[in-house]
Amino acid sequence: MKPTSTNRTILLIEDERPLVSVIKAKLINAGFDVVTARTIDQGLGYMEDIEAIEAVWLDHYLPGNKTGLDFIATLKAPGSKWVNAPVFVVSNTASDANLRTYLRLGVTKYFVKAEHRLDEISNDIKTFLDSEQE
Amino acid sequence: MNTNNRIKSTTDTISAKLKILAREKENVRQKLIITARRLALTAKEKEIVRRKLLVTAKQLAANAEKIAQANTYARSLIEVSLDPLVTISPKGKITDVNEATIKVTGVSRQKLIGTDFSKYFTEPKKALAGYKKVFREGSVTDYPLTIRSETGKLTNVLYNASVYKDDKGIVLGVFAAARDYTRAKKANELLAVTAKQLAVAAKEKEDVRRRLVVTAKEKESIRRTLAVTASKLKKSHLTLEEKVLGRTKDLEQIRSKHEAILTSIGDGLVVVDKEGKITYINKTFEEMLGWKPKEILGKTMVDVVPREDMHGVGVSFKERILTQVLGGQKFVVDLTNPFYYIRKDKSRFPASSIVAPVVLNKKIVGAVEVFRDITKEKEIDKAKTEFVSLASHQLRTPLSTVNWYTEMLLSGDVGEVTLEQKNYLEEIYNGNQRMVDLVNTLLDVSRIELGTFFVDSKPTDVVKLTQSVMSEQQPQVDEKNIKLSSSFENNIPMIHTDPKLLRMVLQNLLSNAIKYTPDAGAIALSLSLDTKKNVLLKITDTGYGIPADQQDKIFTKLFRADNVIGKDTEGTGLGLYIAKSIIEQSGGKLWFESEEHKGTVFYATLPLERRKKERAS
Repeated sequence: MKPTSTNRTILLIEDERPLVSVIKAKLINAGFDVVTARTIDQGLGYMEDIEAIEAVWLDHYLPGNKTGLDFIATLKAPGSKWVNAPVFVVSNTASDANLRTYLRLGVTKYFVKAEHRLDEISNDIKTFLDSEQE
Repeated sequence: MNTNNRIKSTTDTISAKLKILAREKENVRQKLIITARRLALTAKEKEIVRRKLLVTAKQLAANAEKIAQANTYARSLIEVSLDPLVTISPKGKITDVNEATIKVTGVSRQKLIGTDFSKYFTEPKKALAGYKKVFREGSVTDYPLTIRSETGKLTNVLYNASVYKDDKGIVLGVFAAARDYTRAKKANELLAVTAKQLAVAAKEKEDVRRRLVVTAKEKESIRRTLAVTASKLKKSHLTLEEKVLGRTKDLEQIRSKHEAILTSIGDGLVVVDKEGKITYINKTFEEMLGWKPKEILGKTMVDVVPREDMHGVGVSFKERILTQVLGGQKFVVDLTNPFYYIRKDKSRFPASSIVAPVVLNKKIVGAVEVFRDITKEKEIDKAKTEFVSLASHQLRTPLSTVNWYTEMLLSGDVGEVTLEQKNYLEEIYNGNQRMVDLVNTLLDVSRIELGTFFVDSKPTDVVKLTQSVMSEQQPQVDEKNIKLSSSFENNIPMIHTDPKLLRMVLQNLLSNAIKYTPDAGAIALSLSLDTKKNVLLKITDTGYGIPADQQDKIFTKLFRADNVIGKDTEGTGLGLYIAKSIIEQSGGKLWFESEEHKGTVFYATLPLERRKKERAS
């Protein structure tokens, strides 16, 4: 893909087209390389194909019969090579119960879309990855 | 002639002579015997006569004795007689008297005997005439005379008299017996008086009778009037009877209709007396709770049918609405506060009820409770809440889009915007932010109602949290020039609660105080420890207050008091509902005191002890 880039690569799994555009724009502005996926399977495929992916921006409800939880379950399954991959769930629709499950399964942070500015989220992701690197 | 012959002859002669002599002698002897016999007989006769004489003498003596006895007996009879008795000679002289005569005349026996009979009477001539009549006719009966005694005392008597004769029929005198009839006379007089009285009485009776006749006439006329009235009455009675019959029939129909309604009413119905004992249950009650009337009639409703609140905690006797209603509370609709009723088989169902007192002569004599199984309503309500939840979630996506695009424009990520454009974009951003808040609030409400609130309890410093909320809202306080003061009691420990939820409560209460207090007002906030192991939060404002007639609705979802609707258009009427739900779910209480135009004080308690039963679904 872009092996020469020093930018961090982030996988954006989101199905809402206008949101994908604005998030992608924001993340690129913030210095990320962005890979976008519309479904869980697509996302998992990118995870397999693109080793450079350092973080995942994950929505909960997605087209098809899989949700963000299925993605996390695969990623964090025992013996998975992505156990330590940081995942940021950014969703409007997950219930409290799902939220707890996400946290239990080991997502890095959970954001309610409507309650956070894009600035905030991208800064949080950046800060987290920086601290990981140290 | 021989001597022998001679002798013989002589001897013969002599013998013959002797024979004759012997014969004669025998005759004499015989005669003598007869005489002797005769003499003996005479003596015998003499003796017999003597004896006879003796017997006769004895008899005579005995007779004399008997006569004397008879005389004495007769005499004593005469003497003891209470009636004056007297014998009179043919010449009218008294020959004998008895004691009664002596008494009635007052004259001694010696003086009486030999005197004229007639002189002892008030009318001697009449006495004389009477006595002559006796001689003439042999007797008189009931001949009235009046005896005058020596002292002048008068005794009225009736004489019975008759002549007495010797064995040859010659009249010897008159025997007269008098009977005192003074007493009888008095009795007669008494009778006469009585008769008079009777006559008077009779007269009165007659008067009465006459009056009665008059009355009877009047009566008759009244009777006739009555008869007329009666016939009228009878007619109207008949009509009435028909009406009564009709009405009774109607009533019977109504009664059986009511009975049928009560029986077939879809709600459970129970009637209790003033002690809370069951006096009636309907069919639905039986079906819903599994009890038969004979099993529970006369038993205490509160004991028979236990109640649990929505958290499954038993409701105490005191807290039972039925108890409160019997205690004088007017009327309780319990529809907004559902609970569980426990069936006979210990299973339960969600219910809501209305309890009303039965009042007779201004006294509570019992209560009626109507309750419903609200399983279906709850399901519908849940579906509605889920819909709200889903809709709210879905609303968030376009809201996020608007939010983030505006943000990008404002931050210059897609090129510079003019100042004016920036102002417009900010309005869009703020409006959208309000919409996000509203949606979030709706989601909180649906979480509360679905019981899906995520409670993340941890040791929390309430003082710090409160101070944080205060500083967060300082801009609004400053904007209205409100004086905000606070006081925190020392040693308030950390409490185990969800800081996010508690923050929501504090934000709600404080922002309400700010919103509903006019410019330059004052708000005081304090935290202290109460006696029941609670942290007590108190927020006092000098605001508009809550109208008295709306205070009972203030915690109702979407309710907003009249006096503030015009002053603040942003309120949703959900804040206090959410705050109360959160506080109660964490085991505390939220209440207030308020007076319109003066201000409001809100109180909230937060238990220090960790709550045993925490709902975390």
